[in-house]
Amino acid sequence: MAPRPTPLVNRIVAERAGRATVDVGELLFVDVDRVYVQDGNSPTIARLYRQHGLSTVFDPERVAFVFDHTVLVPNREMADRIGEAERFARELGVQVFGRGAGISHLVALEEGWYVPGNVVLGSDSHTCVGGALQSLALGMGATDIAAAMVTGRTWLKVPDTVWLHVSGTPHASVRPKDVLLEVLRRFGMDAFLYRSVQWTGPWVESLSEDSAASVASMGVEMGAKCVFLPPRPGSPEGLVPTAAGPGDRVLELDVSTLSPMVSLPHSPHGSVPVDELGGRPVDYVFVGTCTNGRLEDIAEIAGLVEGHRVAPSVHFVVTPGSRQTYLDAISAGYVATLVEAGAIVTPPGCGACVGTQGSVPASGSTVLTTMNRNFKGRMGNPDAGIHLSSPLVAATAALLGRFPTREDLPG
Amino acid sequence: MSIYRVVPVSGVISTDDIIPARYKHMYTDPDELAPHVFEHRFPGLAAQFETGDAVVGDSTFGIGSSREQAVSALLGCGVRLVVAPSFGRIFYRNCWNLGLPAIELETASLVTAGQLDVSLQTGTVVVGDEVVRFASPAPLMIDMVGAGGLLAMVLRDRGAPAGTDGRMQA
Repeated sequence: MAPRPTPLVNRIVAERAGRATVDVGELLFVDVDRVYVQDGNSPTIARLYRQHGLSTVFDPERVAFVFDHTVLVPNREMADRIGEAERFARELGVQVFGRGAGISHLVALEEGWYVPGNVVLGSDSHTCVGGALQSLALGMGATDIAAAMVTGRTWLKVPDTVWLHVSGTPHASVRPKDVLLEVLRRFGMDAFLYRSVQWTGPWVESLSEDSAASVASMGVEMGAKCVFLPPRPGSPEGLVPTAAGPGDRVLELDVSTLSPMVSLPHSPHGSVPVDELGGRPVDYVFVGTCTNGRLEDIAEIAGLVEGHRVAPSVHFVVTPGSRQTYLDAISAGYVATLVEAGAIVTPPGCGACVGTQGSVPASGSTVLTTMNRNFKGRMGNPDAGIHLSSPLVAATAALLGRFPTREDLPG
Repeated sequence: MSIYRVVPVSGVISTDDIIPARYKHMYTDPDELAPHVFEHRFPGLAAQFETGDAVVGDSTFGIGSSREQAVSALLGCGVRLVVAPSFGRIFYRNCWNLGLPAIELETASLVTAGQLDVSLQTGTVVVGDEVVRFASPAPLMIDMVGAGGLLAMVLRDRGAPAGTDGRMQA
């Protein structure tokens, strides 16, 4: 019997703990390579530093503050908290990416913070994006992040690994988001909770960088501690066992018969094929976020709406994920195309995802969005019904004023 | 052993349910967050908490956002223990980091109980005449709660010689 390949997470944790090997379930302290903070937590971290008499970071070059959740700040209390966090960051002398730079995880990709085999901590649950580049990228809360900022270390439990093997070629209208919604529907959270997920198979190996980041971003919705995608052609050399060994826990998913999917309110885990909702009215479409706010996503929706008009009944908001994405979308003409069609294109950032800036949906309204989660009240109004989908399904709905059927989609 | 009053909550619970995002961007003080706990999901529940309560869930508790304010807000309400069959991993860490014990346990026999008598050290919950066992937390985590949370523990260890476990040194 061939030896079982050592899971990637064990190899990274062992390296950063100064050990030859580690066992699943062990509680360890490890060195971290980088820490980044977003504005939903930086005011709390400033408060924790003050409460505990702290004033230093382990390495100002490896700590960054990103302001992405409240870009156009909607009220006085939030403005005051942002002001506190900005002053705190300046006092620490860390890197600062101010309002308008983009979502922390997209900034992380652009700045090259996710290095294969590195341990990267972010004060945002979608830090798991870093798994697209084989970083052990962990989302954590304010106290964890503050402790890592001070010490350059963190504590963790070595997770068990589950392999997710995707086979088959998806239909022309099926996007990575649909595969993720199907994974959440079929396997639920129990299959992945606390575990490290290693994606394998030709589908995931063929993904573009934007799509790989999109897939990795939803690791937290799966319940995983971390995810790893295989290295893409031309990507930096990863630490890669490419296949599971005998006795490993492997889940199989065939995507060849998969339909475009739409999740039902108020959970990302309950999705249905798009035809089940086809025809029902949609009031508000939002495209963006760390899951679907990249150039590939904006290119797709711009191509779709070109020469068409957004349905008059639909509020259509598009938020590029980062300043670079925004500039690239302007250069390529995508922003003009979207605006001409009737979309509102906002400054870069997290946009409407979390109800901390516009646009908040109306009570009783139906929202279709490319966000990664649709918990009750997520966008700031618990009386709106939020559905999740790919950018293709969302933008098609913006033109039609209703959920599309498969016949409305390409292929 | 410590005695807690049971406050049952039903269904998968996200950290968005525990504290809606806008409040964490407006307030850092747990006392200002506390009145808004479960505001969207269980309106009115926040006002019913008493100091020393245990929130007992019947499904996965604390999924989604990394917001530690979900824990500080529960602490602000007086919650001193969370029990659920499973947890969102970031919420679980945040609980221990802030000194709020989170116990992973099948809760069918607990949700209808009036109160629980819990020992972290021995891994036991006494409910009426029944004793329910759970995997007692690692010594590090009990140490963290005893110290008053992760940051307090790290600062307590400041300057101490690096132990064989290579702990975090401030």
